[in-house]
Amino acid sequence: MKNIIEKINKIAEKIKKDVYIMEVCGTHTEAVARYGLRELMPKNVKLTTGPGCPVCVTSQEDIDAIVNLALSGIPVATYGDMMRVPGYYGSLDQAREKGALIFAVYSIDEALTIQKKYPNLVFFGLGFETTAPMTAYAIKKGLTVYSTHKLFLPAMQALLKIGELKIDGFLCPGHVSTIIGIEPYKSMKVSQVISGFTAEDILVSVYMLLKQIFDNKKIVENEYLRSVKKEGNPKAYQEIFDVFDIANGNWRGFGIIPQSGLEIKNKYKKFNAKIKYKKILDQVDFSFSRKLTSCKCGEIIRGLKSPQECSLFKKVCTSENPIGPCMVSSEGACNVFFRYMK
Amino acid sequence: MKKVDNLTITLDHGSGGYASWELLKEIRQILKFKGKWQNTEDDAAVFDLGTEKLVFTTDAFIIDPIFFQGGDIGKIAICGTINDLSVMGAKPLGISLSIVIEEGFSRIDLMKIISSINKISFQSGVPIVTGDTKVLEKGKIDKIEITTAGTGLAKRIIQNNGAMIGDSIIASGDLGEHTVAVLSKRFNYQTNIKSDSKPLNQELELVGKYLNACKDPTRGGLSANIVEIAKKSKVKIILDEKLLPYKKETIALSELLGIDFFSFASEGRFISSVSSKNVNKVLKILKKFNQEAKIIGRAEKGEGVFLKTRLGSFRPIEMPRGKLIPRIC
Amino acid sequence: MCLAFPGKIISIKKNSAMVDFDGIKKEINISLTPEVKKNDYVVVHTGFAIQKMGKQEAKEALKIAF
Repeated sequence: MKNIIEKINKIAEKIKKDVYIMEVCGTHTEAVARYGLRELMPKNVKLTTGPGCPVCVTSQEDIDAIVNLALSGIPVATYGDMMRVPGYYGSLDQAREKGALIFAVYSIDEALTIQKKYPNLVFFGLGFETTAPMTAYAIKKGLTVYSTHKLFLPAMQALLKIGELKIDGFLCPGHVSTIIGIEPYKSMKVSQVISGFTAEDILVSVYMLLKQIFDNKKIVENEYLRSVKKEGNPKAYQEIFDVFDIANGNWRGFGIIPQSGLEIKNKYKKFNAKIKYKKILDQVDFSFSRKLTSCKCGEIIRGLKSPQECSLFKKVCTSENPIGPCMVSSEGACNVFFRYMK
Repeated sequence: MKKVDNLTITLDHGSGGYASWELLKEIRQILKFKGKWQNTEDDAAVFDLGTEKLVFTTDAFIIDPIFFQGGDIGKIAICGTINDLSVMGAKPLGISLSIVIEEGFSRIDLMKIISSINKISFQSGVPIVTGDTKVLEKGKIDKIEITTAGTGLAKRIIQNNGAMIGDSIIASGDLGEHTVAVLSKRFNYQTNIKSDSKPLNQELELVGKYLNACKDPTRGGLSANIVEIAKKSKVKIILDEKLLPYKKETIALSELLGIDFFSFASEGRFISSVSSKNVNKVLKILKKFNQEAKIIGRAEKGEGVFLKTRLGSFRPIEMPRGKLIPRIC
Repeated sequence: MCLAFPGKIISIKKNSAMVDFDGIKKEINISLTPEVKKNDYVVVHTGFAIQKMGKQEAKEALKIAF
C-alpha cells in the first residue's frame, strides 16, 4: 500500500496544478475520513464531498410530510438514520417520543413483516438506484410507500452544469453502479472511476483518476470489478421501472432536478402514500419547510462549502443535537467531519 | 427549522456516550453532598476506613433480549457489579439484588435468571446478601429490570486517571462480544460468538497491583473507556489498527449494522494502563485467564486518543455519540 | 447509503439464502439475483443480494476489507 501512496505522490507532482476530486458517494466520504486518507493526499490533490448521502438530500418538505403522517396516527417504518433528521415539525424520533408508531428497519422485508401487524404501515422510501429495487419489490408485495427515491446521475450532471465548483474527476459510487452498470456514466465528459469502499480501493481509484487527469483523458474506468459488471444488475434495474415512473426530484441543496425522482406508477397507486393520505398531507402547512436557516447543508451537499465553513458546525449543530441532515447521517459530511477531524 | 429542545430525556442519554456523560454532569451538580466519600465520579465510590478502603457501587440492568448466547440479564447484573468493584482494586464482599418484574412474566424464566446469578455467585466467591422484589402491572415495565449494588474492600484504589507517559495499554481479551451476542439475537443474525460476560475479580486480584489505570469497557465500549482514561490521566493514547482486540465476526457485525465496534460493550473484560517494567508480568497472568490478552496501544505525551491506521495515518477516537441506531445509510 | 457487504451463500431455500459474512450469518433475499447458487459470493445491501461476485474477487475483497 505504501507503494500506491508513492505512485499518487509522483503523478500528483507531475500534474503540478491543484486537482479536485469529488467523492459523490457518502460511503466513500465515511471511508476517506475513517482511514485518514485526506492527510495521505499530496497537497495539490483535494478530495471534496458530494451529494451521495440519501438522508442528506431528502428535502425538508418530504420530512415534514412523513412526520405529519406519523403524528396523525399512521405507523411509519424507515431506515435508521432517517429517524433523527429534524424537520419543522420535529424528527421521526421526536414523533415517536410523542407516541407515534415508528419503526427503524435494516431491510424492507422487516417492513413487510411489521405490515402484517399494522396493515396501514407506510414505508418512507429513500435512496438511489441501489435501494430503489427493494422498495419496488415490496410495493409489488403490497407495501404502502412514501417515495423520495432518486436517480443519482442527474445530480452528478447538475453539479457539472452548475459550474460553480471545480471538479476534475468523480469517484463514482460503487453500489449504485452495481445496479446500473457502467454505460450511463459515459454521457458525462469528465474523468470518472467507479470505486470500491476499502481504503485500498479508494487509493487505487484516486491514482487511476490522477492518471486520467494527467493523460487528459475523460473516460469511465471501473476499479470495483468484483461487484460492478458492465451491464450492472439488469433484473434489479428493471424492477425499479416496473413500479416507478421517472419524475422531477426534490433535492435538498439543489431544489428540483428534472427527471431525477422516482414516483410510484399509477398501476400501483393503491400503495402510494402520497395519494392514499392526500387528505392529511393537504392539511400540512409546508410554508415553513422552505424557510432558509443558517444551516449550510445545501451548499455542503453541492461541495461548495466544507462543514467547517458553516457557522453552526460544532457550536449549535452537534451529533446529539443535529440541525441539518448532514450532521445526522453517519455518512453526512458534517457528521463525518465532526467525528473524525481534529 | 424548529430548535430541538433539551428538556426531555432521550435514548441518547442512556447510551453510555457523550449524552450520558452530560446528563450525569447535571445530576452531579445537584447532588453535591458527598460526606467523606471519594471517587464519586468513578465506577465505584470509596470510603477510607483507615487501614483499608470500603468501595461501593450500583447499577441497573435492562436488556433486550433477556436471554442470549453466553448469558442472560441475571449473569450481567451480578458480573457488572463484581467487575465495577474489581476494576477499582477492591475484593468484593457481598451484593444486593433488587428485581422489578412485569406482571405475567414466566416463573420458569425468573428462576433461570436467579440460577444463573447463583452460579456466578459461587464461581466468583461473592455472595448475594440482601435484596428486594416488586411486581408492576403489565406494560408498566418491559419484562424485568434488575438492580445490583455491592461493596468491597481495597488496600489500594486503582484510579482511572493514573495512566503515565510510556505505559502500554492492555486489553484483557478480545472486546465487544457481549454486544455481538445481544445484537445478533435482536436482529436475527446467527453466530458462534457468545457474550463475554464473566466476573473479573480473580484476575484483577492477581494483577491489580501492577495497573496504573483500569476500566471495564461496558456501555460505550473501548472508545468511552479509553477517552476517559486519556482525559483524566492527561496523556495521549495511540491505538494500533494492527493490534485491534476484535474478532472478525465482531467487525463483520459492526459493518453490517453500521455501528462502530469501538462502542461495542464487553461484560467481562478490562482495559488497563501498565508501566513497561510490569507489562510482561501482567500479560503472563492475564493469558492464563484468556489467551487473547494483549497490548493494543501506548500512552504518550499530549492529549486525545488516536488510531494509527494500517496505512500509517491517524484518526481521532472519540466518546461514542448518539444511541446505537441501525444504520443503513 | 450504499453500504453493502460481500458474503458467501451456504444454503438456499426458494427466494432466500443463508449468507455467511465472516462468521455472522443472516437470511438474505435473493429475488434480485435469481442465478446465484450455494457457495457463490454475493454483495448484500439492505437484506438483498444485489450482485454475484467472482469467487477470486470476493476472496480478495474479504482479505483486504479489514
